[in-house]
Amino acid sequence: MGGTVAPEKILRELSDLWVSLGREAPAPADAGVLRACSMTFVVLAEESDDVQSLGETIAALMPAHPARALVVRLRGAGERALSERVYAQCWMPFGQRKQICCEQIEITASDSALADLPSIVLPLAVPDFPLILWCRSARLWGLPEFRPIEAMAHKVVVDSAAFADQKAVLPRMAEAVTRGVLLGDLSWTRLTRWREMLAQVFENRQYLAQLPRVSRVYVEFAEPFEALAWYMGAWIADSLADVGVPAELTVAPEADGPSLRVTLSGEGIQVELARQEERLTIVVNALSHCTNLPRPAEHLLLREEAGIVRHDPVFEKALASAARLAYPGDK
Amino acid sequence: MPIENPFQDPLRFERRVPECAIAIFGAHGDLTSRKLMPALYRLAYDRRLSAGFAVIGISRTAMSDDQFREKMQESVKQFSEDTTFDADVWKAFASGLFYVAGDIGDAALYRNIGAKLAEVEQARHTGGNVLFYLSTQPSQYAAASQGLGAAGLGKGNGWRRLVVEKPFGHDLASARELSSRLHEVFQESDVYRIDHYLGKETVQNILAFRFGNGIFEPLWNRRYVNHVQITGAESIGVEGRGAYYQETGALADMIQNHLLQVMATIAMEPSASFHANSVRDERSKLLRSIHAMTPDEIRQNAVPGQYGPAKIGGEDVPGFRQEKGVDPQSQANTYAAVAFSVENWRWAGVPFYLRTGKRLPKRVTEIAIQFNPAPLAIFEDEDGPGSAPNLLIVRIQPEEGISLKFLSKRPGEGMTLRPVSMDFNYGSSFGERSPSAYETLLLDAVIGDPTLYTRQDMVEASWAVVEPIQNVWRETKFDFPNYAAGTWGPAAADEMLARRGHVWRKP
Repeated sequence: MGGTVAPEKILRELSDLWVSLGREAPAPADAGVLRACSMTFVVLAEESDDVQSLGETIAALMPAHPARALVVRLRGAGERALSERVYAQCWMPFGQRKQICCEQIEITASDSALADLPSIVLPLAVPDFPLILWCRSARLWGLPEFRPIEAMAHKVVVDSAAFADQKAVLPRMAEAVTRGVLLGDLSWTRLTRWREMLAQVFENRQYLAQLPRVSRVYVEFAEPFEALAWYMGAWIADSLADVGVPAELTVAPEADGPSLRVTLSGEGIQVELARQEERLTIVVNALSHCTNLPRPAEHLLLREEAGIVRHDPVFEKALASAARLAYPGDK
Repeated sequence: MPIENPFQDPLRFERRVPECAIAIFGAHGDLTSRKLMPALYRLAYDRRLSAGFAVIGISRTAMSDDQFREKMQESVKQFSEDTTFDADVWKAFASGLFYVAGDIGDAALYRNIGAKLAEVEQARHTGGNVLFYLSTQPSQYAAASQGLGAAGLGKGNGWRRLVVEKPFGHDLASARELSSRLHEVFQESDVYRIDHYLGKETVQNILAFRFGNGIFEPLWNRRYVNHVQITGAESIGVEGRGAYYQETGALADMIQNHLLQVMATIAMEPSASFHANSVRDERSKLLRSIHAMTPDEIRQNAVPGQYGPAKIGGEDVPGFRQEKGVDPQSQANTYAAVAFSVENWRWAGVPFYLRTGKRLPKRVTEIAIQFNPAPLAIFEDEDGPGSAPNLLIVRIQPEEGISLKFLSKRPGEGMTLRPVSMDFNYGSSFGERSPSAYETLLLDAVIGDPTLYTRQDMVEASWAVVEPIQNVWRETKFDFPNYAAGTWGPAAADEMLARRGHVWRKP
């Protein structure tokens, strides 16, 4: 099996798609189909990836970041193969008459056709909008063919929690950032609400005054959240160091514990954040507070990352520190 | 030296919320149950409140803290439109709810409030910050404020702010009187006059649309804009508020505050920055530029209306005079349409038509900016759809969004034009739930951002243009009812526009 994919043909098919969607639209003049686009969203996924779940994630992302989505499904080694299909992702907002549609293109490629990908993706990118690349394949991230694909993107999003050795991937990601890649990691994104709650605790002037007494930071994590724990520990330690508060950091696995438990302690102050099912419990000394914290679905994490197409100094610093702390021997 | 919170990350985090207590006067009332408490619960649900946040409900009805919590729980369950009730989140939130009973005119009430605030400050570390919210009868605003002042509660360890619901007086003199009474205890910068229209996402989006884009502002003036229509229509009647409405009327209830604020937002000059006072200065300048009409001008440029009975969808609907608590000879306006003019270089000669009413065909709030036609009509279809003017429509409710109507060639042979619409739909482009106006405004008040609140000079400027209309209408006997329920208002309002060659949009 060989195959070629002509971007011009895909663009013609997209144009035909809009004509046919317009014809199918209901009759009233103010009803119909509305095309929405704010970025090009390229997804690199293995062919074994759950197609339905991936489709649902992309569909759920579209209302917040309508995009021309290019899903590249990787077939692995074997005979050179490249093929495509074009379709629309539509939804009818509640209580409204107009259907909103986004374009979706699916390209299937074998590893031997990977080198051709940039020449296909570039002409298909929507002009004047950012190109966000979501790499779901840990295998591809390590291939030399990934570099030219990465170079096309304004931002590359990965999920270090999906890598077999989460700790090991942190230095590689830090290296990509030093090369100038605008990177996002969904493991870091999962921490936003946690970090926000910790910051909120110290918005209280009384607790802020006690912050210099913090001498110990303890981060416990359950199995799949190692990268998350290193990020959290590194970010807290860096933040404390920025205001001249040296604290001893421990990041340790906890087999039966919650996904993550964070404790800052010192003389007269103890702050603890822990997840309990869909809620986050914050205990500051004796005062306990509970708030809603559903486990963020992938599309919510992507929504946050796609909204930040610029350098994120806090993340980049935390990544560099997490990489250094996870492998203290490495430079 | 105090240190800065090192954990803030403005790129990803929402705004910083300080610790505080909210003391709500009128905690037993409808507004607290339907709007304030659901909004506060939603803020807690969304992790937007500080851990030691507290609410102190104040009202005449005797109740324990636990009874108040139970009542508020029922309200949150009943009136939270799009928020799941979570028992654990509620439990944590409810532990910060307290109640004080007493009469607003009784000095003992304020002593009890003071004691409760001290207790809460100690137990929940609220830092002495207090937001007083007056959700009572307007006639009690001054008494409540002065009671707080006499008990020394207008000042404390932290900041003290006062939120006041509309109406801010019933005419210019009473608005000034109210402000001066409030200022005896609170500085103007600590008085937050709430206008929930300004908390709506699309109203805020007007600022983003106008001042975040370079392409619209050059068109935003008398050279290109033909006229502006601002509509705030309700399909419902007075819904049991007949007695209140009879005293107030549509002009004072809607145009004096909501619609004039919307007009100020759409027509103001660009502010130098997005700081609260900078934005409010420009709104205020615009309101002060509106021409206050003489009685003769008012008769030409303002039309009152009152709905009569009708059959809508096969159902008999009563007229205003048939509503409960309404005088059968009432002269109250349930509809008001006014053509305002703005006396500045940008808008001279451009009419701003504002209309509002009860029992109109649908509930809709929108701003329609009609542009001048192309200077030369080179296409033939002079009276057909091919001559339709460009319209920019900002929809505030129910479907928030912006549409631009322009002409396009009809596909096929010949040069026939037809109007088409380019739509930006706020809900579909940003799939996230929009916060309610009360969530936005309560949080703004806690954070200390008064951008979306109305300042004393704005209130006075609004009354300065509305009061002369009120006076003329009060002295005139109208032949009411003059429009049937379910229609777009009295014929006189259509004639008012027709005299200038304009037509009301039917949204």
